Amino acid sequence: MPPRRINDSYMDVDSDESDVSILDDDAGPRKSKGKGKAIDRGRDKGKSKVKEQPYAWEASYVRSWDTVQEDERGSLQGAVQDLIARGRRKRLLAPAAAIRRTIIRHLIILLDLSSSMMDRDMRPTRFDLTLQYTREFITEWFDQNPLGQIGIVGMRSGIGERIGEMSGNPQEVLKSISERHKLEPNGEPSLQNAIEMARSSMSHLPTHSSREIIAIFGSLTTCDPGNIHDTLDECVKDRIRISMVALAAEMKICREICDKTGGQFSVALNEGHFKDILFELIPPPAQRAVPRASGPGINPAADLMVMGFPTRLPVTSPPALCVCHSELKSEGFLCPRCSAKICDVPTDCDICGLMIVSSPHLARSYHHLFPVKPYQPVMTMEGVAYPASACHGCAVPFREIATPAGSLATDGMSPLGRYRCPECSNDFCGDCDVFVHDVVHCCPGCGK
Amino acid sequence: MDKASHLSVILDLSPTQWQLSAQSNVSHPLTLSTFVSHLLAFLNAHMACKDDNSLAVFGALPGKSVMLYSTTTPMDEKAVAADANTYRPFKILDTTITQTILDQIESISDNDVEAPIDIVGALTKSLCYINRVTNPANSRSEDATLLPDPRILIVSVSPDQSSSYISVMNSIFSAQKLKVTIDVCKLHVADSVFLQQAAHLTGGSYISIERPDALLQFLMMSFLPPPSIRQLISVPTQDKIDFRAACFCHKNIVDIGFVCSVCLSIFCQPVPVCSTCQTKFPMKTLLRLKAAHPHTPPPGTPPLRSGTPANSLPRSTSIAPGGTPRQVSNGNPNMLPVARSNTSATR
Ligand SMILES: [Zn+2]
Ligand SMILES: [Zn+2]
Ligand SMILES: [Zn+2]
Ligand SMILES: [Zn+2]
Ligand SMILES: [Zn+2]
Ligand SMILES: [Zn+2]
Repeated sequence: MPPRRINDSYMDVDSDESDVSILDDDAGPRKSKGKGKAIDRGRDKGKSKVKEQPYAWEASYVRSWDTVQEDERGSLQGAVQDLIARGRRKRLLAPAAAIRRTIIRHLIILLDLSSSMMDRDMRPTRFDLTLQYTREFITEWFDQNPLGQIGIVGMRSGIGERIGEMSGNPQEVLKSISERHKLEPNGEPSLQNAIEMARSSMSHLPTHSSREIIAIFGSLTTCDPGNIHDTLDECVKDRIRISMVALAAEMKICREICDKTGGQFSVALNEGHFKDILFELIPPPAQRAVPRASGPGINPAADLMVMGFPTRLPVTSPPALCVCHSELKSEGFLCPRCSAKICDVPTDCDICGLMIVSSPHLARSYHHLFPVKPYQPVMTMEGVAYPASACHGCAVPFREIATPAGSLATDGMSPLGRYRCPECSNDFCGDCDVFVHDVVHCCPGCGK
Repeated sequence: MDKASHLSVILDLSPTQWQLSAQSNVSHPLTLSTFVSHLLAFLNAHMACKDDNSLAVFGALPGKSVMLYSTTTPMDEKAVAADANTYRPFKILDTTITQTILDQIESISDNDVEAPIDIVGALTKSLCYINRVTNPANSRSEDATLLPDPRILIVSVSPDQSSSYISVMNSIFSAQKLKVTIDVCKLHVADSVFLQQAAHLTGGSYISIERPDALLQFLMMSFLPPPSIRQLISVPTQDKIDFRAACFCHKNIVDIGFVCSVCLSIFCQPVPVCSTCQTKFPMKTLLRLKAAHPHTPPPGTPPLRSGTPANSLPRSTSIAPGGTPRQVSNGNPNMLPVARSNTSATR
């Protein structure tokens, strides 16, 4: 059945509540109307900092190169050093307390790949900016939700397109949207088709996991084969939370979808605001008041959960029937309690009900629990009998003579380029200091 | 193979394990000196593959880790005697590595011999090193495409130390971030749960060598080609991966654990308060879990007894022999029968 074009004013007729910001179908006056609406929103809902900001397409030229300052000799060295020092200080100030994590989240990102994404009101284009922010969003999201999984669905030419399968590996998700030319925008978007596709790929998930959809929507129309309100009812029934970031203007149906499913709806004013509202969706959503099927007695804030860590079978193992689909398969996971064969983790074992997760997923968050103590900058080599000649991490030789203190007015930097671990008293170079604290989260000297 | 490749080799130089390995009652004995000669042939082959290939060798010793050799550190070439029959760079490489290994082993004091092998230190050092050599800011050429493709090969002879679980996992994730492939070559001892996960998560191969006397062949056929061309020559892949984790309370390796919902710490038995984030768990959950797992030893029981995770439900004996404690600590041979029986279960 060919998709039927439904515009918003049509949808509005369906609902009995009238809205002042009915959007017209024709492209001409749409922007001015959209703008009026969004600025209204900015006044009553937006934060104070975005209040005065105009739409991206209204803003004048931004001279981004003016923010970088050269020093007297025309070098950028000073600016770069400043950035590094700032990073160091920030780390020293960071609280050592454990950060609260959520359990298992499942998210499908709906990317609008319709021709409206080629608009240049956000530089360089809505499409390129969306791709860039989506990549940053995915990295950050996995950092905060180690047990989560993300899938990606595109909206293009009136159909939903599966771009990335649900995966818990950030690299895999990023790879699925790495090739720009495969995602080239085209045609009309279909919200209904895309939501239906996302809904079907989340149908098998265990009860304890969240089901979420985040849509980045640049178009002002949706081109659906049926009644999108039916899809909305199904989503409410499946407890799927839908949040949307609109790039153009508010649409009645979008707001209704978000409100009914408990998600957030916002309209991006400009590039920075777009990123802000997208990244606001990273922290886990607050628990909904609706009592869960698992029982009202459970405190949602903190609990002890039984989890099983499975064994993964290779492709070369003899085929056997899986318990979830009754299909003959070689690959799979074995439940550690009842040895049932399961297709994918995390899930609940169909036989014994054990929650099965892969332990690396849990481990991804442990660096938040046991951070490496900040290294102390070494200010002088006096009193050290046998100073180490090279960095304990990467073996780069240290410089012999300290740089004059004047050029390094920024605090937290060692004139000798040495940073010492308070636990094992080994010296590290500046690069390793940053690398150990930001990436490895484990001191090469003491392993803590 | 248009891109240069960087190889970091981590050698497990545990005196105890190499002593065991050289004993003649082992099915295929391999002495440390034979091992080094096989390894040097492999390293020379790596250097010969491409002019720009680089190499770093790290040693994991009891209680410490050292860098044994790297192509970027300047060598005192005059100290190496000339040999008309050997290509000189190979000669320098061979002599330096042999000498540093000897020096390091000599320097191990008798008290240190039993200390745990610092595989984590060697792994993090190699990551720091790779971070430096692959950083475009530090390279001579501005072109990022000319930076070498990094990978790590771990030659392991010691069993897992469950106390290093978190550090190993952190290293694995940073290797993922740096796009470093970790290959694991396991000699003699039973499979390492952590190194299996390392190879699996970074896309490397984990090969447990049953004939250590044929080591060179395994090294050449499986670990010489860089990851980019491995798909074409079908390197042996991992048989099966054990996703077990170590509990935070006793460092036992568990397959069913109790997980704090706030910080995701793993415990081998129901605990009233999370020891990591001090969260108190609801009494109801605790009672329910204790009722469901009646044979769970009460908190405070010695770690050896609580080695079997709380699971009273009948389980297939082919997966784990009923009474075998699944505890694995440094040098504990209990790992061996468990791993073997795991393998047989799937075949
Ligand atoms: Zn299945
Ligand atoms: Zn089961
Ligand atoms: Zn360093
Ligand atoms: Zn340290
Ligand atoms: Zn324990
Ligand atoms: Zn906790």
